Amino acid sequence: MTATLRAESVSFAYEPGRPVFKSVDASVSGGETVGLVGPNGSGKSTLLRVMCGLLRTRAGGVLLNGRPLSSYGGRDRARRVAFLPQAVNPAFALSVFEVVCLGRYPHMGAFGALGPRDKEAAERCMRDTEVDHLRGRDFLTLSGGERQRVLLASILAQEPEILLLDEPTSALDIHHQIEIFSLLDRLAHNRPGGYGILVVTHDLNLAARFCDRILLLGLNQSMLAEGPHDSVLTEPLLSRAYGAPIRVSRHPETGAPLVWAEAPREETGEKGDTPHNCRGASQHGGAP
Amino acid sequence: MRRTRNMAVVALIIASVALVVVSLVGGTERVDLGQAWREWREGLPPAQSPMLGIILDQRLPRTLAALIVGCGLALAGAAFQAMLRNPLAEPYTLGVASFGALGAWTATILIGAYSFPAYLLGLPTIQLLAFVFAELDIIIVYQLAAHRDRISPSVLLLGGITMGMLANGGILFMRYLADPNRVVMMDRWLMGGVDVLGYRPVLTLLAGVAPCAVILLAQAPKYDQLGFGPELAAGRGVNVRLLQATTFVVGSLMTAVAVSVVGTIAFVGLIVPHIVRSITGSRHRLLMPLSAVVGGGFLCFCDIIARKILPGETPIGIVTTLLGGPFFLYLLLRRRFTDWDA
Repeated sequence: MTATLRAESVSFAYEPGRPVFKSVDASVSGGETVGLVGPNGSGKSTLLRVMCGLLRTRAGGVLLNGRPLSSYGGRDRARRVAFLPQAVNPAFALSVFEVVCLGRYPHMGAFGALGPRDKEAAERCMRDTEVDHLRGRDFLTLSGGERQRVLLASILAQEPEILLLDEPTSALDIHHQIEIFSLLDRLAHNRPGGYGILVVTHDLNLAARFCDRILLLGLNQSMLAEGPHDSVLTEPLLSRAYGAPIRVSRHPETGAPLVWAEAPREETGEKGDTPHNCRGASQHGGAP
Repeated sequence: MRRTRNMAVVALIIASVALVVVSLVGGTERVDLGQAWREWREGLPPAQSPMLGIILDQRLPRTLAALIVGCGLALAGAAFQAMLRNPLAEPYTLGVASFGALGAWTATILIGAYSFPAYLLGLPTIQLLAFVFAELDIIIVYQLAAHRDRISPSVLLLGGITMGMLANGGILFMRYLADPNRVVMMDRWLMGGVDVLGYRPVLTLLAGVAPCAVILLAQAPKYDQLGFGPELAAGRGVNVRLLQATTFVVGSLMTAVAVSVVGTIAFVGLIVPHIVRSITGSRHRLLMPLSAVVGGGFLCFCDIIARKILPGETPIGIVTTLLGGPFFLYLLLRRRFTDWDA
């Protein structure tokens, strides 16, 4: 049976009366990569934390394999759902192998000893993300791309079914971005029972190329669209989501949507975040 | 690589044990262990076994006090550093030790001058008040430095050091008001000294520090997880809030008990985990127990310096401050500035 993590009409507010999003649905299942996209402040990272159980919702629920996520114990949950926050750095020096072994925590006994099974799992995960040659290196001396692959190995070592990744490529150059997304693609599709991957990203073109489905969060606190990239990455939907004119054409070689933003034409005293000077938004009613 | 590390670990343990033994033997009067052993074997009454008397009545309590306090402060330092993700955090730099001392001294005055009960709820008032003050300090410093999940390293240290100054101001004020006869005793205690008399203080230390040490050691695998920040740890199933509460309560309790008996002894929690970390790496399952052992040895070492090398019987707190202050500056200099962006 493939694992499924599903958020059903969840709402969340850090402060009462100021919801980040309201009644949002989202899901990810084993064997698929799902891209979670949207403008800054639309609540992508917050939704990811809700789906991982780090933030409790006021309304709506998150179900893991049909059971409320909150009914799982912390480590029990971590053996099924793994979460990688954005840009994490260690406070103290650790070797690559030690970093990967940290991922075995949900499987450890009370005294935190690593058994042969733990070491095997760590080895396998380092091979899966192609970092086994770095094992003895100090994590802090690695390049950004290497760090992300090591961190991926460390959450794979939890042996989860679902991966929740918060902007894993935000600090990387284009080559390393493609490398990480190809790796995610392989992890989800290259074998039966592949991981279900929900990835937050700002790069719509990468999402278009590598994700099976795309979830688009808007600035109006709701999920604007959900589905394959052809149906989500369209000019009207994106312009409405970002509150600014967005253009979409075709990638000349892959045929996937190619997205770019138009430069603002007029002088504006305000930030482009508000839908106020946006034709797309006004046509579609825009945010309240 | 692994081999040299293991050898270094063993060497550290042996050195610590050796320092404890030297501290037992060395002192103003020479001690002959052989003679003490003979006296013990023959079962002579105390009047006829002077050597055994010196060891049991003077040296042993003092060495035990140094050992327990060293263990406790080093462990508290390692735990605070892990929890706050800052290698400069320790009971003294966070102000916990000074506030503990302020609490202990407040209790002493209340009991002495205002006939306040010496025991509250069955617990000694001095330790209880020291704990309350220490706990208050760590909560305030944490609130100052934390915003959502991030802790500003600079605000943390500034806050801790300022709170420490505040506590010291309070202590000096009480010293100024105090009965002149008590000032000498107060000064002695303020400078930190493990020259305890008899086993009662040792028992107080043991009862306070040992359970706390066990609790903190049991958290070691969780501290490892915090290395990459609270969110990754929480994602892996660590209850970060519970861990934080445990660390703050237990760490400040341990510090408060130590301070209330031997006065403020600074920087042990900074120096010891740092030395140990350079050998074991940051895995707390090894770092914390070894810090406890080395902490005991280190404070015995400082006590040897205080008794044998420096003139008279220099208070041990002066020794650790003179060693630890420059060490703190060295760590501060060595840090890259990027680490300070919070």
